[in-house]
Amino acid sequence: MTIEHATKSSPKRLSREREHAWGVFSVSIALALLVVWSWIESDINIDRLAASGVRIGDFLSRMVPPDLTVLPVVIEASAETLRIAVLGTVGCIFFSVILGLLAASTITPRFVSMPVTWLLATIRGIPLILVAMLMVGAVGLGPLPGILAIAFHATGMLAKFYAESIEGVDPEPVDALESAGATFLQRMRYGVWPQIAPDVVRDTLFRFEMNLRESLILGVVGAGGIGFYIQMYVRAFQYEKVSTLTIVVVFFVVMIELGNNLIRRFLR
Amino acid sequence: MVLLGSVGLMASSAVLLENLTHRYAGEIRPVLVIDKLEIEEGSFVALIGASGVGKSTLLRLLDGRLRGWKGRASVLGHALSARTAPPRSRRSEIGYVFQEFALVESASVRQNVLNGRLGSTHSGWSLIGRFSDVDQSAAEQAMRDVGITKFAERRVDRLSGGQRQRVAIARVLAQEPKLILADEPLSNLDPVNSKIILELLRECAANRGATLIATSHQPRLIAPFVDRFIALDGGSITFDGVPSAVDEGLLASIYNDDDGKDHSEAAE
Repeated sequence: MTIEHATKSSPKRLSREREHAWGVFSVSIALALLVVWSWIESDINIDRLAASGVRIGDFLSRMVPPDLTVLPVVIEASAETLRIAVLGTVGCIFFSVILGLLAASTITPRFVSMPVTWLLATIRGIPLILVAMLMVGAVGLGPLPGILAIAFHATGMLAKFYAESIEGVDPEPVDALESAGATFLQRMRYGVWPQIAPDVVRDTLFRFEMNLRESLILGVVGAGGIGFYIQMYVRAFQYEKVSTLTIVVVFFVVMIELGNNLIRRFLR
Repeated sequence: MVLLGSVGLMASSAVLLENLTHRYAGEIRPVLVIDKLEIEEGSFVALIGASGVGKSTLLRLLDGRLRGWKGRASVLGHALSARTAPPRSRRSEIGYVFQEFALVESASVRQNVLNGRLGSTHSGWSLIGRFSDVDQSAAEQAMRDVGITKFAERRVDRLSGGQRQRVAIARVLAQEPKLILADEPLSNLDPVNSKIILELLRECAANRGATLIATSHQPRLIAPFVDRFIALDGGSITFDGVPSAVDEGLLASIYNDDDGKDHSEAAE
């Protein structure tokens, strides 16, 4: 860079740097104000916070020893939660394959992929608990509204992941198959699928784990599973039963995660 | 739709082009302007010229993957359409070696070679991974011909550039094509591997009685292997003759632009 050039560009660069610094400063102030406003409006009292330690200690002491007489009920409710998560995941895979293909801008015309993308964003924006309450109203109590709620809610995320995987496909191997005379389905099977399979399996397992965790609370609104017992025991102050329930849920979630990790390692 | 009748076609023509022009959307200058080009069956033709003169576009046209061109084009005795892809059976008669190999990286060598059979195998069975004995033996033969049988089960992403090029050629050979189009088959290879691949291509094409058309930026390297050189400039044929007629002066005129800059790799 010549001296003349440097002198000419310096004021511009300085001005840009100043603008950037002001931008960072303004955003920082805005964030700080947001935190202060949240703190004040939430009526957080330090004394109450300090006093809660004693109460939490009391709860924990009442959780020991766990009441194992509820173990069969808790295991059965956990199994129902697992069934809700499994069937909900199957449902969301079904819808995600269709909507994922339609949302992928590389294989679907833009006038189709854009509205489908918006639809998926809208689905993601609706809270699961709200969907579950609507489903309970529509089909009644039990695991079915839970399965439908999970299938609907999870499709918003999984279909987006599927679409992104398809959009990331290298088109050349697919073109090569087309050049060799492969049909559309053959190109999908031998050109697209091997490229997206690791991502699709990883995303589906991740979504299954999320579905399992989210299914735990569905019972609170009557959509089946262990959530019903969580709210019942907590409201009845039966902490020794909550303790059994917590142990089973933790065991159960950890086992599923270990299983998923094994599958991921196998696929790598 | 522009079609070419059978009248006037030589029985021994693998390729016949007449009054052919093509212009990409938004471009003022045509990328191809060919009054007449005839290529005999069983010959090995090299397309040479600087980058962007229309070599790859011409290969894509011959492969039936280019749309919107004007004129008459016939490949292996069948007229090409400027609007629609050739039927599946005809696509499998033309093998295309892609510049960047266009292999499915996560699939095995064997599967990539078998992919060359997708145009001629039963579509339904192939979707569940079943290929006929004819397909299997064609793939085996192709792998033997290019010397990759020993790593048939290895994933393609574990192979070197030269090995990948062999897999790409084997996939095309497995098609049992009557016309092989190779787009810059030497661009990713060192001089030793380039000669090996050229010998391999010529031998495999000759054994199958196939016509071979390859683009290249290395005319001196490729000269001993080919029957004919066709040079393009601005989409038009500027030279068409035997390798012995290609001298330094001609190469300089083909590869030197107005600034006198030499674009030929071989000239370096």
